[in-house]
Amino acid sequence: MMELAMIAALAILTLGSVLSFKYRQLGFYGAIVALVIAFSAIAFSASHFLYYGIFILAIGIINLVSLKAIKSEIRGVDYGLVGLMTLATMYIFNTNDLAMVLAALVLVSVPTYILVMIREGGANVEVGLKYITFMVFATVLFLIGAIILAYTKSLPNAGLLYVLGYVMLVLGLSLEVGVAPLHEWVPDVFSSADPIPISIIASLAKIVPFIAALWILIYTANPLTASITMFTAVLAAISMFTGNIGALTSKEHARVLAYSTVANMGYVLACLVAIPLVVVIGDGLPGFVIKPEFIYLALAGGLLLLFANAMGKIGFFNAIKEEGAYSPLMYILAFSFIGVPPLMGFWGKLFILLPLVEVGYTWLVALVVINSAISIPYYIRLASELGIGWKANLTNLICVAVVVITLVTVAFLPVDWFLEGMKSLAQTIGVVI
Amino acid sequence: MNEWVFLLLLLAPVVSSIPIALAYKSKEWTEKLPYLSVLGIFVSVLMSLHIFFALEEGPYPYDWIPELGINFVFMVDYLSSYMGVITAVIAFFIAIYGLDYMKGDYRPSWYWFFFNLFTASMLLVVYSDNLLLLFIGWEGLGAASWGLIGHWFRDDDEIAYVGKTGRKVGPLELSWPPSFGGWRAISTIRFGDVPMFFAIAAIWVFAGNLNISEIEWGTLFATIGAAGTVILLLCLLMGLFTKSAQVPFSEWLMTAMTGPTTVSALLHSATMVAAGAFVFIKITWYIEPWTLHGVPGLESVYILVLFVGLISGLYGALAGSGMHERKVLLAATTMSSIGLMFAAAAASFWVGHFAVLVAFWYMAVHAFAKASLFLVSGHLIHATHSRFLCGGLEFGKKMKPAFIVTIIATTFLVGMPPLTAYWVKSGMDEVMEHLIHDLGIVPLVLLILTSLVYSGLLAKFLSLNFIKGEKPHHEHVEGGGLMKLGYVMMVSVLFLLAYLIFTSEETAEFIHAGMAEVSIIVGILILLAYVVGLVKPRIAALSRLGTFFSDRMYLPFVNDYILPKTGFFVSHIVNEYGNRGIDGFFNTKVMPGLFGGISKGIRRIQVGGLTAYVKIVLGLVMIFLIIASIGGMGL
Repeated sequence: MMELAMIAALAILTLGSVLSFKYRQLGFYGAIVALVIAFSAIAFSASHFLYYGIFILAIGIINLVSLKAIKSEIRGVDYGLVGLMTLATMYIFNTNDLAMVLAALVLVSVPTYILVMIREGGANVEVGLKYITFMVFATVLFLIGAIILAYTKSLPNAGLLYVLGYVMLVLGLSLEVGVAPLHEWVPDVFSSADPIPISIIASLAKIVPFIAALWILIYTANPLTASITMFTAVLAAISMFTGNIGALTSKEHARVLAYSTVANMGYVLACLVAIPLVVVIGDGLPGFVIKPEFIYLALAGGLLLLFANAMGKIGFFNAIKEEGAYSPLMYILAFSFIGVPPLMGFWGKLFILLPLVEVGYTWLVALVVINSAISIPYYIRLASELGIGWKANLTNLICVAVVVITLVTVAFLPVDWFLEGMKSLAQTIGVVI
Repeated sequence: MNEWVFLLLLLAPVVSSIPIALAYKSKEWTEKLPYLSVLGIFVSVLMSLHIFFALEEGPYPYDWIPELGINFVFMVDYLSSYMGVITAVIAFFIAIYGLDYMKGDYRPSWYWFFFNLFTASMLLVVYSDNLLLLFIGWEGLGAASWGLIGHWFRDDDEIAYVGKTGRKVGPLELSWPPSFGGWRAISTIRFGDVPMFFAIAAIWVFAGNLNISEIEWGTLFATIGAAGTVILLLCLLMGLFTKSAQVPFSEWLMTAMTGPTTVSALLHSATMVAAGAFVFIKITWYIEPWTLHGVPGLESVYILVLFVGLISGLYGALAGSGMHERKVLLAATTMSSIGLMFAAAAASFWVGHFAVLVAFWYMAVHAFAKASLFLVSGHLIHATHSRFLCGGLEFGKKMKPAFIVTIIATTFLVGMPPLTAYWVKSGMDEVMEHLIHDLGIVPLVLLILTSLVYSGLLAKFLSLNFIKGEKPHHEHVEGGGLMKLGYVMMVSVLFLLAYLIFTSEETAEFIHAGMAEVSIIVGILILLAYVVGLVKPRIAALSRLGTFFSDRMYLPFVNDYILPKTGFFVSHIVNEYGNRGIDGFFNTKVMPGLFGGISKGIRRIQVGGLTAYVKIVLGLVMIFLIIASIGGMGL
């Protein structure tokens, strides 16, 4: 049933893109219809995907709408590409198949190769070259790492192979999303490409790689995980500091946001430290005891942080495109990034920190908190420089939408509802609670 | 259902004062909205009466952070049900008076908001069983006190000052404007609140509970040992002594008289300054120190409180005896009375439960009597345009209600037989007499001396305002209907209290004590002192001593000279020697250097060329993989 709906959605998407050469608007409406069909199918077949699905649907639609702000050479097809990315992002929690997980990763990654080059009146080839080079490298590393890890599952004693697979996967992920010290492409691409495609790359495109990595790491977790996660933790720490100090000392807005992405990916990487470890300990690692609720707490934290990052990036990049947006909206997004309660960014950080404490990574928790403090000046500066008076335009409409979503966690306090959703979601990715 | 009672009790005053706070720019609205604020306080009165008559005794807990034992726990017991009504009723009467008194003031929004915030905070302190909740109310008291003392922050009207302007003693000018008064209050109170906060934290750590009625005090004291007990209680007492203006923290109360008179009446006589004594009474009520004689350290703390109280009592009375400013004189007597409350409550260690009752009832009688006197003073200041004692018999006849109220309030308060306070004071005499066995005769002597000076002092207040004072330069005796209503209602409660003392079971012992020989002798002496004060309010031969007393025995030097000089010296040292290091580390050298260095490093990588990036990334990936291979070899 769901597969059928997905295929139908893909068909509509393709049709819309093809017909958009003749009728421009069809690409947009085709994408919207496809997303709604896919979302309904997912929501009907398994209600616990509902919350996740709603967030992704919202991010997808906002990204689609924001594309209207740019006159692209491939107008129509770009809607199809974003639609495809959103479909893959929605789908990823609905599969138990490694091949499908990896396919979703590729489906989210490849459209960005084209999107990144979108520019009014031509294609930004130089940026495209820089971006594609690293993405290809990242995808290859990720895929090889994933396959090695999957292979070790069938071995009685994985040892070195597991470690190599783990490191490759994490390095691939780091390159893909821009974790320091493999972040070199991020500041350049973010500041020289058009802000609108970047808002998509910085929001929607970041979600699937993390979920895919998480899925594989949980699936292949074994007692060695406890020793090797230190590697990820160190990367996370380096990324936070590089990102935040870079952002703090940059002037150009797009560059500040690029470094802020590097920092945020560091926070999310911390979630990759916690979850597999919690799973391993939950499976009975000698000397450790853990409460199962920390698994879905960490998952909720990771996702909320990704959503909060997506909302903020969409809002800020759109504001850059239009040279400013309504000031209060900018401040709310900044506060969410900083982690001021009860905005979404706060819950994301909190839910990641709690399980981290539980698995003994207190030093990483301290670093996250210190880094949140370091980030305060540049987010506030960003908000004050991008904030202007109210104007009724597309940018402010988009900003209102992302702020409303950022405030969802305020309107529905406490966020138990989200945690409940995560509990069942965690089970679908192989975690037994 | 009951949660609504407490919610209304505490929120009605605050919510009803928000409109006037918001409408601060509109003269039209700020003239009308005070009635709404007063209505809010009236709701509190109704709720406190409901609690008194309808609610059963016991704790009323509502969850807040149950995991940490921090909850909204209200306690309805003998003390809180009486004190709640007393607080709400006094606030209500004074609010009515304030409608007249504050008419035409330049910032009514500020006044009413803080006045009502104060009322709510005080009620929170009174009903809280949870120490953290109590502390929240306590801080509300401090904030409101600062806001209201400095109400006339422009310092542009000499009538709001304390001390004769321009009068210098040594390097110090002994006169204080409202803004300085506010500052002295908040700085002194904060000085005590911080240790108090630590004491509460320590109680939480060691007892695992913050509810006064549930804490196992005996076990707690045993856990922390003698030194721990002394340190803990001293820290707690720092908060209480500073708030209640006990020696040597009394200076702020004297200059708190720069605030509007309604504020002096409500905060700085009847309720807020008494809060320190009230909390001490409340805690003693539950600690039951008379059952804990085996606990090491506890006795020394109670001895300390006893003597701080008695010395403050005598100091306040003596200082007041030389004063000529209406309100400051009353402030000195207030401090004196509160000292006696502390002393009586502390005596419970040896005497038992009865001493706590004495302290509490003295607090009740004092609250109404002193508030009445303050309200009269305010009216007199309005009528004569002078903050100094003045007004002869002729003037007294024109101000009949004020005159009569002053006669009633002073005679009922000093402990003259057989008027209200006599019975409570007799209880106090009996308590101090009991102490002869354990602590000798000194406490009783100090009490009697204080009572005599106090009596003469209030007689002097009556005499110099209405009978023998100089003729005022200015007389404005018309109007002030609501003001008169305010103090007449206030003083009439003293009759009700007398009735309660005679009829209630708990106070039966007071009547017994009133019949005792010592009490009768002391009562007669007090009567004599009163007559002396009335007939001879000024004694020229003692004028130099009077000046020494009215300069508060030069205690202002500690507050305004020695402490600031010491502070400046310390800050000078810190600035000269400590700051360079701190600045160097955080602001100029180490941290900025670190950030700058890292930032440069991060930026140096971004050369823009694809080849360079590929080299970096490939190199890093290779290094990581090699390290992983080496590290993973042994696994």
